Amino acid sequence: MSWVTAIWFMTAGACLTLGVVHFLVWCGQRAAWGNVFFAISAVATGGMAGCELWMMHAESPIEWGVAARWIHVPAYVLILSLVGFVRVYLRAGRVWLAWTVVGVRTVSLLLNFLFTPNLNFREITGLRPISFLGESVATVVGVPNPWMLIAQLSLVLLLAFVVDATVAVWRRGEHRAAVQIGFNMVFFVFLASGQAILSLWGFTQAPIIPSVFYLGIVLAMAYELSRDLLRSVRMAEELRENIALQKQMQDRFRLSVEASPNGVVLANAEGCILLVNGRAAQMFGYPREEIVGLGIESLVPERFRGAHASLRSGFHAAPTARAMGAGRELFARRKDGSEFPVEIGINPVDSAEGTLVLSIIVDISSRRQSEAEAQELRDELAHLTRVTTLSELSGSLAHELNQPLAIILSNAQAAQRLLAQTPPDCAEVRDILADIVAEDRRAGEVIQRLRTLLKRGEITRAPLALNETIEEVLLLARPNLAGREITVTRALDAGLPQVSGDRVQLQQVVLNLILNSADAMAANAPGTRRLHVVTARRDGVVRVSVRDEGCGLPAEPEQLFAPFFTTKPHGLGMGLAICRSIVGAHGGRLWAEPHPERGAIFHFELAALPTPAA
Amino acid sequence: MTTDAPIVHVVDDEAGMRQALTRLLRAEGVDVRAFASAREFLADYRAAESGCLVLDVGMPELDGLELQRRITRLGLTVPIVFLTGHGDIPMSVRAIKSGAVDFLTKPVNDADLLRAIRTALQLAATRRAEQAATADLRARHASLTPREREVMARVVAGRLNKQIAADLGTGEQNIKIHRGRVMEKMGVQSLADLVRAAERLAIEKPPGV
Repeated sequence: MSWVTAIWFMTAGACLTLGVVHFLVWCGQRAAWGNVFFAISAVATGGMAGCELWMMHAESPIEWGVAARWIHVPAYVLILSLVGFVRVYLRAGRVWLAWTVVGVRTVSLLLNFLFTPNLNFREITGLRPISFLGESVATVVGVPNPWMLIAQLSLVLLLAFVVDATVAVWRRGEHRAAVQIGFNMVFFVFLASGQAILSLWGFTQAPIIPSVFYLGIVLAMAYELSRDLLRSVRMAEELRENIALQKQMQDRFRLSVEASPNGVVLANAEGCILLVNGRAAQMFGYPREEIVGLGIESLVPERFRGAHASLRSGFHAAPTARAMGAGRELFARRKDGSEFPVEIGINPVDSAEGTLVLSIIVDISSRRQSEAEAQELRDELAHLTRVTTLSELSGSLAHELNQPLAIILSNAQAAQRLLAQTPPDCAEVRDILADIVAEDRRAGEVIQRLRTLLKRGEITRAPLALNETIEEVLLLARPNLAGREITVTRALDAGLPQVSGDRVQLQQVVLNLILNSADAMAANAPGTRRLHVVTARRDGVVRVSVRDEGCGLPAEPEQLFAPFFTTKPHGLGMGLAICRSIVGAHGGRLWAEPHPERGAIFHFELAALPTPAA
Repeated sequence: MTTDAPIVHVVDDEAGMRQALTRLLRAEGVDVRAFASAREFLADYRAAESGCLVLDVGMPELDGLELQRRITRLGLTVPIVFLTGHGDIPMSVRAIKSGAVDFLTKPVNDADLLRAIRTALQLAATRRAEQAATADLRARHASLTPREREVMARVVAGRLNKQIAADLGTGEQNIKIHRGRVMEKMGVQSLADLVRAAERLAIEKPPGV
């Protein structure tokens, strides 16, 4: 086989192959219009190569003429597809110029089939064989047809169109595409057109071989497209990795949400539940698939629903992660309508669906229960130490009870005697009975106060005047203090605000502090055993201070408040520990400090209740 | 000697108790004077008054036991019945040892209290009678002449008339006369009675006998 045949077949073959490949790419990817225009360009180039080979091997002028007429068809297709490629792939070029190219070329194609033998020649006079690549090929001799200027005009317009598009692409910053496609296209169209024009007008004796130059364009385009292909393969790879990564992340998220020991509920801004974990479903007593899609308010007890909905819109107005209902006790509602105490953290989560709310829900029933149990133990211990403290008072209290009983007995026996007289002294008996009633009341009061302190009542919080509490305790401790020759001075603030507290427990605290102070003065000389009780208010706080002039505090006063710490031979060592826990449970504090002159001073402070408006 | 009717003195710091005891004792027909404190009692008590003291132990300032000590120190012989709200054994032993008639705890039964008061009043009466007898003897002794007192002192010391006469440098006959006068003035029948009277008057032995 000759070189010419081999080269032109290879050119055609290569073009067709590339065309088919990119056509197949387009089949799989219908949006890739660049590929289809390229496929058409490649196939058209292959067609031109076929027609050129036909012309070079033409046996007669007529055959050459026919071949030259048909070569206009692939040329037409090629020019149109180049215009299309530039528009689609480079997204550049003026539309009117594109349509002008197409229009002019179409006219030239029509003229080609009107003229005989073709657009290029008015008549072909003969064939002249010349040597080309070591082979004899046919060139033509004849009269050129001036109408072929129209075809050549279309090429000039094509060049203008491509140059314009290339400049635009370059300006857009896509320098690589401008050079690779635009520059190559201009360069090879110019060469192909030049070679054909020179031969057709008879300036050179050479076969017409534009397909060789167009092959250059096709290769440049193929190179560019294959880069795209490679890039998309790489992107596909990355995408796959991304997807795998995303899936992994999703799995991790799902697993960690699922493994959370707390309930997790994800809801959207409208309060519709999008996702829950198993713990949440179990907590609320719903089958999982049933809970998704419910309104979040279904999980809130009826009485809070209205407030919850408005709080929810408030949250979406300013979404920040925080604990829900700070400072309030929250309750959630199970499917069966029962309620349980919860703690909830809410977090805004930005997503494609808008701001979602991720709620972390902790069921604190068991914590509440153990708190209640601890409270019960504490109360029991408080009661126990109260009883112990009162047993210290028992001697003096017995006296306090004995005295009225003695008076009652003697009075009653006097009355018996008076009634036995004739005549009975009824006036005196009346006086006696009045005294008996008064003494009985006195005894009853002592017993009542004792019973209050001894019983294990419910701990109740009520507004309380601490001055009264102190007076009640002093009344109870009076005989004991008197027996120890302790004098009590009070400086009680008459305008003291009330506090919220349990009367019995606060009495216990005051009693304990007073008895401790009394004990601290056991070694004092008689006449120097002075106990001072002071109440004062400041900054919304009520303070009670009990001061003694006794032996003072240990070096580390805090150890006084440790359980089982005692300085007394028979002490349980729980008194002050319990006092501190009682005051702590009331939201206050209790501490001790040495008095600058002598002895110790114990203070406790509680929050004052707002004074009711006068 | 102001009055013969016995008076019960009640000392208790508790007004109600004072009142009740006063009523009880008055109903029993006993005269009562009540005092709110030991000091009040000491300021107003007249030693010669007959009667007894019902005393509360637990009182501020001066308590019952302390008052008992003061009374003893003052040489008063008023019998004391103690009353206490919370007495213990050592306290009661101390009170009884110091001469208290009884130690009762409140509430006190009227029968117990009245029995104790009666005992106390009896004791007071006895003591008063003794005191009266001693006063009589003292008056009689005071009526003796100095020579008769010298003779009496030696007679009760067991000296014979002859020895006394020698001691005093006079005749035995004179001593016999003095001795008869002494027996008469002292209102005694026998030497034994005279010795007892001398003991009660605590007449000392003459020096050198």
